[in-house]
Amino acid sequence: MAVTDPQEGARRESRRLVSALTERAFAGRRQRDWDQLDSLVRAAQGKGLRTLLPEQIALLSPLYRDVCADLARAEAARYSAPLVDYLQGLAAAAHAVLYGHNRGRWSVSGGRGSSLRVFVEAFPRAVRRHKGAMLLAFLLFFVPFFAGLLATLDDPGFAVRIVPEAQLRPLVDAYKEGFSSGRATGLDAAMAGFYVNNNVGIALRCFATGLFFGLGSAFYLVQNGLSTGAIMGYVVTHGAGDNILTFVVGHGSLELGAIVLAGGAGMALGWSVVAPGDRTRVAALQATAKSVVVIVFGAAVMLFMAAAVEGFWSSSSLPAIVKRSVGGAMFVLVMAYIVLAGRGSDAAADAERAEGIDRWT
Amino acid sequence: MAPAAALDTDVAIETPEHIVFRHKVAGPSRRFLAYLLDLVICYTAFTVVAFFVVLASIGVSAATDSAESALAAGVGLLLVVLFAIQWVYFAVLEAWVGRTPGKAALGLRVVSTTGRPIGFRAAALRNVLRAADALPLTYTAGLLSLAGFASMATTKKFQRLGDLVAGTIVVVPERASVAAPLVLWPPAQPFELAQLPDDVRLDADERQAIELFLRRRARLGRGREMELASMIAGPLAERFGLRLPDPSRVLALLYDRAANAGRVDAPPSSRTPGSWR
Repeated sequence: MAVTDPQEGARRESRRLVSALTERAFAGRRQRDWDQLDSLVRAAQGKGLRTLLPEQIALLSPLYRDVCADLARAEAARYSAPLVDYLQGLAAAAHAVLYGHNRGRWSVSGGRGSSLRVFVEAFPRAVRRHKGAMLLAFLLFFVPFFAGLLATLDDPGFAVRIVPEAQLRPLVDAYKEGFSSGRATGLDAAMAGFYVNNNVGIALRCFATGLFFGLGSAFYLVQNGLSTGAIMGYVVTHGAGDNILTFVVGHGSLELGAIVLAGGAGMALGWSVVAPGDRTRVAALQATAKSVVVIVFGAAVMLFMAAAVEGFWSSSSLPAIVKRSVGGAMFVLVMAYIVLAGRGSDAAADAERAEGIDRWT
Repeated sequence: MAPAAALDTDVAIETPEHIVFRHKVAGPSRRFLAYLLDLVICYTAFTVVAFFVVLASIGVSAATDSAESALAAGVGLLLVVLFAIQWVYFAVLEAWVGRTPGKAALGLRVVSTTGRPIGFRAAALRNVLRAADALPLTYTAGLLSLAGFASMATTKKFQRLGDLVAGTIVVVPERASVAAPLVLWPPAQPFELAQLPDDVRLDADERQAIELFLRRRARLGRGREMELASMIAGPLAERFGLRLPDPSRVLALLYDRAANAGRVDAPPSSRTPGSWR
């Protein structure tokens, strides 16, 4: 509190003029407004601001401002702590209702207007904004991938050192059998559910652990790249190469792309801790997180799509030529989307400017 | 009204109206209990869904003779539910109403560091980063997960890593019910008024101490009330020249005069008869 006693001056004045009210008189005069604001705030908290009548909403903000003034007055007049606490609680609750940001509340890119369109454009824009981190993530995944693949092709024993043999054998058997007979629909659904839970979970963890100087993301990328390469190499050396290619080509671009993008977002997060530039580390971290969060959502959506493709399409009994050409087309589409979509888009650019996201990696 | 440098877990939030109010920041143990409660709720729901999945697959297999397929589809559904428990439940509820049922039960709310409700993006970020907080073991709202605990222990606002990145805090918004102003009872007697000076000046600490005592004294035993009151009543009575046997009464009289004298609608007890009107 202030060092000077505001009450002293008031008391001196009071011998001649009307002074501050006593606490009791003050509370007595204002209680009706407080109760009204209290009931409005409780209604808004419980059922939402939208359920209030227009005239109630119109009342809300003047009542809130009056309570703010009452709080200031109560503190200046040194009213007792419980009264000040009560007014603080009331003001805080009303503040939370009035300053809630309903517009754009569910937006992940901070955009205005059509949320879906902004998202669709903001995602590839964010990826391109962080191309350094994305390139690094790409290398961290695909260098171990090809290393694992080539090492296993050279010596199938290599895969056994990366992935337990107990996991490799059933895979080989499954791919040897092929997909000509298709799979029961129920099993398709089970596998799609598994891919959602497992793959999206891995991508999210891969992003989150990037916080530790990018080390967590790097670990997930290298580990997944190496084991994926080793598994593919192992299946190829056991004579089911055609089948596994036909299987993975449909969803591979979505699935591997999403892991790389999520890992890249994690690397960007980690880099902001390593080299925060002219901000504090926490500020740099928050700014980067704001900028990359749309990538994580995009990656999650890609993985949901991949799970559907992997569960229901890749395992179907369609001819290999159809699967391969559709898979190839998907690859081109995904690349084109990431590289080209949202260039010169006003909606997404506006959204980014509103968020204070500038071009830096 | 803590002094500026108090070792406190409050966080001050200034509104555009230049009003500052304080939120109490929630500590790890309360947050752990809230998290535990959320887990119980989630896995109870999961069990219920699992029960219906089994029922449905039994029904389907009776009708179409493909029990294995129906059960497999159910397992797929359950895995999606498991995913939602881990990654969706917290983010959506915190963005929607600012709290999960577990947090609501323990009176917690997630707000931004500026005291505003959080949107979906911040809610999703702080909950995805739970995976970072969980290292190296598993997520327990900061008690066993070392990364989250270290972060909570070293930040002033008990922020785990997810809070730090999303710019959020978990607070305990307290709504005090309005307290009746202190009233001097029984009213001041003439012989007491004769002793009381017109102008009783108490500093902020003295006033607060007396006020807290007066609010508590009804719940104290008579002996304890006298013991506490006599700690400060002696020097104060001397300062204002009061000679009354009851220290508790001395504090009540001084407080009443200091708080109410000279104010509009002051009760009669805070005026010396005839001094002013």
